[in-house]
Amino acid sequence: MTIIRTDPLSSPHCPHIDKERELIHVDCASHIYPDGSVGIHEMCFYVQKNEIVALCGPNGSGKSTLIEHLNGLLTPSKGNIAVNGKVISSGDHTDLWKEVGVVFQQSDDQLFAPTVLDDVMFGPLNMGMTREAALNAAMEALEAVGAADLVQKLPNYLSGGQKRLISIAGILAMKPLIIALDEPTSDLDPVHSGMIEGLIRELKQRFGISVVLATHDLDLAARVADRVCLVRKGSVFAEGTPAEIFYDEELLNETGLLPPQIVTVYRTYCQMQEIPADQHPINIEEMMSAIRGK
Amino acid sequence: MSAAALSNHIPDLNLITYYAEKQQSFLSRFSPWTKFAFLIIIVLLVTLTGNLTILAVLYLVILIAYAAAHLPLRKLFGWYTMPIIFVISLVGIMAWSEPGNPIISFTVAGFPVTLTDNGILLVVTLLLKALIVVTYSLLFLMTTQYKYFSAIIYRIFPSPLDQIFLMTYRFLFLTLAMTGSILNAVRSRGGGLIHSIFIQGRMFAEVFALVFIRSFERSERVHKAMIARGFSGSYGTVTTIPSLRITEYLLICAGVAVVLAVAITTPSFGG
Repeated sequence: MTIIRTDPLSSPHCPHIDKERELIHVDCASHIYPDGSVGIHEMCFYVQKNEIVALCGPNGSGKSTLIEHLNGLLTPSKGNIAVNGKVISSGDHTDLWKEVGVVFQQSDDQLFAPTVLDDVMFGPLNMGMTREAALNAAMEALEAVGAADLVQKLPNYLSGGQKRLISIAGILAMKPLIIALDEPTSDLDPVHSGMIEGLIRELKQRFGISVVLATHDLDLAARVADRVCLVRKGSVFAEGTPAEIFYDEELLNETGLLPPQIVTVYRTYCQMQEIPADQHPINIEEMMSAIRGK
Repeated sequence: MSAAALSNHIPDLNLITYYAEKQQSFLSRFSPWTKFAFLIIIVLLVTLTGNLTILAVLYLVILIAYAAAHLPLRKLFGWYTMPIIFVISLVGIMAWSEPGNPIISFTVAGFPVTLTDNGILLVVTLLLKALIVVTYSLLFLMTTQYKYFSAIIYRIFPSPLDQIFLMTYRFLFLTLAMTGSILNAVRSRGGGLIHSIFIQGRMFAEVFALVFIRSFERSERVHKAMIARGFSGSYGTVTTIPSLRITEYLLICAGVAVVLAVAITTPSFGG
């Protein structure tokens, strides 16, 4: 685990990055909104090829602002951001949207076209694909998310879970290197949450896409993330594997987060059995083998 | 269709779209272009003619088609409230000053007021014209899937009108849903639409303002989401509209012939 800074006001300590695998490198970037509020503050963050990174932090910590920087919706007031070798500084006009797709928290904000097909083809057509190529890309993406049967539907008549799947398909059809998902399972029923979780894994395993996940759902982060970054007051405060981060109670308290349920259950079990909680399971399989081992 | 209607007197967009998407009426099998052509034919007819018999026949034909398409008649009559109010507010006063044979005469504050047969004819004619167009427009909307409707607009209207239309329709649902949820919050605490308009006028002004502000905020988020996918100022629809069959061409030709016949026989249009 790397503690990037001990105090939000201190200078950051950027971690060592494997340049060969680097896709995104946010280098001490800051963003101040026109009203003076701080979006991100000397943020150090990176994403490598074929990894899932979870950004965890309380409301207003800067997760969504960071995601908007990755896509080029915002540019840093200070510092710079490199995406797949392209360096973006303050005020640069960017076409990062071709490299980094963003799935927004509210699907209704993303789905605006008359039909599902029109919506999913919107991004590919903007990329300059021919109509035929865009249609193929859209159909492939819809099939990948398991929503090919919804192709002619009006977005208005889809359930919340279906809307989320279509939102992801709309990004997947653009074949980005990285997909950033903002609270992908919020407001979803357990079945659709499970589908989205499976899809996040599939993005990495089947399509080789790196995923940035901004979430409050630490259980989801524990299950799918390769690396967890704790975000506080506009900065990445600490990063490490899910096991390292979620078993550090003090760190979670400092960030204003509660540990995932699996951590609580494991600790409670060990307490009840009066055995040391010396292992760090982060999913059910790991917990079962940890319990059996005792 | 899950949202409740705001009022029985305002066309319910959710219900209209539900029927359009259900695609179960015989009119759903007609090409959207045919239905659109007939909309133009009907608008031309009601513009050209003032003949009450022609208008009554036209209204009856459209009403029969509406019923035959298994569309909700009772709802339709409820939705007539707005066009009726519109027509009466336009010609309600003019009807009392039309020259013709007097039917009712009385004095108001020393001024003689007379309702003539021509005055009544004027109101009935305009009412029929309004109801014909409203009924056919609803028939068109309720038997045509939105994707075709938007594709027609996209192909016919110039930019940015097509863009405005393509984006507006989807967000009408969201704005209606938002208005519905705010009204539900009002009703759940004892407020009612008509009751509260008089008693809680100020609160309703606030509800209206809230819908406006929330819609504005949402439009900003939507714009951001579009920019995130490379939006550069315009987008289109890829829907292909089904083409016309021979019988539909013949129907349109017959409709055009009727329009021409009416135009020729109408005195003010050269007949």
